[in-house]
Amino acid sequence: MRAPSIVVLIVIALPLLLGEFWAYQLGLYALYAAAAVGIGLCWGQAGFLPLGQALFFGLAAYLSGFAFIGFQNHLIIAVLMLPFAALASGLLAYAIGYIVFRRTGESGAYFSMITLALSLLAFQIATSWNSVTGGFDGLKGIPGLPGLDDLSDNYYVSAAVLLVVLALAAWLYSAPIGVLWRALAQNERRLQLFGFDTNQLKSIAFGVSGLIAGMGGALYAPEQGIVTPQLAGFGLSADLVIWAAVGGRGSLLGPVIGTLLVGSLSSELRDTLPFWEVAMALFFIAIVLIFPRGIAGLAEPFLRKIEGRKRGRPFIAAPDAPTQRPPAALTLHDVSVRVGEVTILDGLSIDFDRAGIFCVIGPNGAGKTSMFNAISGELSGVSGQIGLGGSDIVGLVPNRISGLGVARKLQIPSVFPDLSIADNLAIALWSGRAAKVQLLKPRLRRWTSPMLEQLQSRYPFLASGPRKALELSHGEQQILELAMALLTEPRVLLLDEPCAGLSPEETDAVMGLVRWAAQRLGGAIIIIEHDMSLVKELAEVVYVLHNGTLLAKGGVAAIQADAKVRAVYVGGEK
Amino acid sequence: MDPLIVTQAINVVYAVSILAVLALGLAVIFGLLGVLNIAHGEFIMIGAYCAYVTESRGWPYLVAVPLTLAVCSLLGAAVEWIMIRRLYRRPFDTLVATWGLSLLLRKIAEAFFGPGFRSVTIPLPGTIKFLGTEYPIYRLMLIVVSLAVVSVLVIWYGRSRTGSRIRAMVNNPELAQAQGISVRRLAAATFVVGTCLAGFAGVMVAPLVPVQPFMGLDYVLRSFFVLIVGGLGSVSGLLSGAVVIGGFDSVISAVTDAANGYFAVLVLAILFLWLRPRGIVARA
Repeated sequence: MRAPSIVVLIVIALPLLLGEFWAYQLGLYALYAAAAVGIGLCWGQAGFLPLGQALFFGLAAYLSGFAFIGFQNHLIIAVLMLPFAALASGLLAYAIGYIVFRRTGESGAYFSMITLALSLLAFQIATSWNSVTGGFDGLKGIPGLPGLDDLSDNYYVSAAVLLVVLALAAWLYSAPIGVLWRALAQNERRLQLFGFDTNQLKSIAFGVSGLIAGMGGALYAPEQGIVTPQLAGFGLSADLVIWAAVGGRGSLLGPVIGTLLVGSLSSELRDTLPFWEVAMALFFIAIVLIFPRGIAGLAEPFLRKIEGRKRGRPFIAAPDAPTQRPPAALTLHDVSVRVGEVTILDGLSIDFDRAGIFCVIGPNGAGKTSMFNAISGELSGVSGQIGLGGSDIVGLVPNRISGLGVARKLQIPSVFPDLSIADNLAIALWSGRAAKVQLLKPRLRRWTSPMLEQLQSRYPFLASGPRKALELSHGEQQILELAMALLTEPRVLLLDEPCAGLSPEETDAVMGLVRWAAQRLGGAIIIIEHDMSLVKELAEVVYVLHNGTLLAKGGVAAIQADAKVRAVYVGGEK
Repeated sequence: MDPLIVTQAINVVYAVSILAVLALGLAVIFGLLGVLNIAHGEFIMIGAYCAYVTESRGWPYLVAVPLTLAVCSLLGAAVEWIMIRRLYRRPFDTLVATWGLSLLLRKIAEAFFGPGFRSVTIPLPGTIKFLGTEYPIYRLMLIVVSLAVVSVLVIWYGRSRTGSRIRAMVNNPELAQAQGISVRRLAAATFVVGTCLAGFAGVMVAPLVPVQPFMGLDYVLRSFFVLIVGGLGSVSGLLSGAVVIGGFDSVISAVTDAANGYFAVLVLAILFLWLRPRGIVARA
């Protein structure tokens, strides 16, 4: 028997086993559980924490309450309006996410505090806007769903909505967008450098979480017959976070387990045991500090069965990279960057105007990595022109520049440690190739490309799919990141000390890969390197940076003989 | 001048100065340690409940001050030791953990004092003739105390040995450690100073607001917005943030109603996020 059908069977059998009261109770908490799944999506997948999620539950509940009261003689119309109530919550969440993420670019404190403030505000509006919301007492006398008469009917409706929410979440988690959410929680910068608009990815995650909270809230109104300001307020928001955390925010079913178990227990015990809620708060802190996987973490082996196993399915060829356009010249003209009093780049002009391997050397602080940061769009306040294939890219955000065919390997191996090797490589394949809508198709996780196959035959560990990237050695991670950069088939490849910290054998492997890439890509490969023996072996042209400007350019022998360069390295006159 | 306008003007000064003190503890902990303590508001609540306990025992009001300082420093030290110490440089985990702490402190207060409002009587009742208008003595006194607390802290931070050690720690913890400064103890002390300041602010406002377990939420949000608007890490940032947020809020609330004031503050904070994300006084 397939795992999801077991879940469906349990859901159908529960009210028969537990009786009507518990069926009613579970039906109510199934709606909250939908909202908690949204918290799991934001926090457990995409790595940001909304503290005011009840806002979206409450908004949809009020909207659906208005619909049911307004159309009480034509309830079928009200039922048809339920999806719109949920959609309104989803759109509001997306808009909030868009406004906040677009500007801070970080998922930390600011977002959480704004959402907390918004839910307090929603509570205040709901309480004080008497004429519309019914004030503190709320909307009363909301008619029930037509055609349902006993409590377990309501339970089945709630359970069905929860199952729909779970199916939606399961699909998203297994689709590329789910992989990208988990990736951005681990290393947002890296994802931007692969050309993904992480702010939009986060806004979408938050929008979906608002939508599914809205689905729960929309049903709440007709099922409970009353909507009060508390539904949008701080208390429920806090409970949702606790339930998701205790159940296990990282797994699909964790938030549901947490809500059904802790939520319905709390409603029984909070009045009889005075310190129950204190204990729950302590428990929450312990979960956060010590056991982030929650109850679902304990039940992991069992849950893994329910959530389904991945079977080995055949690979599919990815479409050709858009960057199989002609290689482009990269030219920097009079590029300067200042931070406060410090000049980082000082009128730097360099042309990388043909295919080949170029090495950039220079003493510490010469501005080598800053030059890369300026090219890939990570420095603000850049003046001058950086031309790529004739167009100026100064001022573009990193993900746009990546889309134009600039790939980069960071100095410290920078992969997505908690993702499998296969997913790491897949992200690189999606970069620039997958249209936004395609990120919803799970089959994209099976993409492969001729270059990937060639890389996998050179380095067999790249084919050991389910292993996590963090299990790889330092050298293997360097090769994985380099392979990921190559898979985007860039027009310009920037490598920041690709051999740092590697053993001689690993260094040979990386050098071989770089040479292979130069032939395969036919574009410019620009390498920052300190080790002159490597420079000697690789470089066609060497550029020497000093104090943020170009000191010398030429073949290796010429550079080594250059008096100015020697002076800088020996530490003579500055 | 019209006495009504004078009264309103003093009200704005009062709102700004009390907001500066309310945000001070958060500014110390967030600005110097980089720890966003969401439980900041709950330390203010603890101060307010200490005032309530003092009064209900029939002790003189000033007893609330040492009582609060004792409670908040013990609690602050314990929290720093158990929770915060392992989370420095992990801002997201700190956020979640201190959010859990704020929940815990609220639930403890609720378990001891119940969910309802408590009120504390004003220790200095009555009004005084000031600039041609009758103004409550206690509020005037709070303005003076607020300014005193902020200036004493500024002078202490700028002149004392501990202050310069803290500055060293903030600028470069490794180097400070290498100079023989115990960064771990100093960070703990800074955290405790922050929680004590919050508690003290709680004692100050307790007679003027309903004392209840949930009171801290509003304070921590307002304090956070003060720091966002003003900018982290400087006194001028704190004061300018308090002027903008407190002034805006009290003017809008006076002209329309409190919910609008709250909404205006929120919109203002989001506007600042877009237009000036590092605040009015940005630290280099």
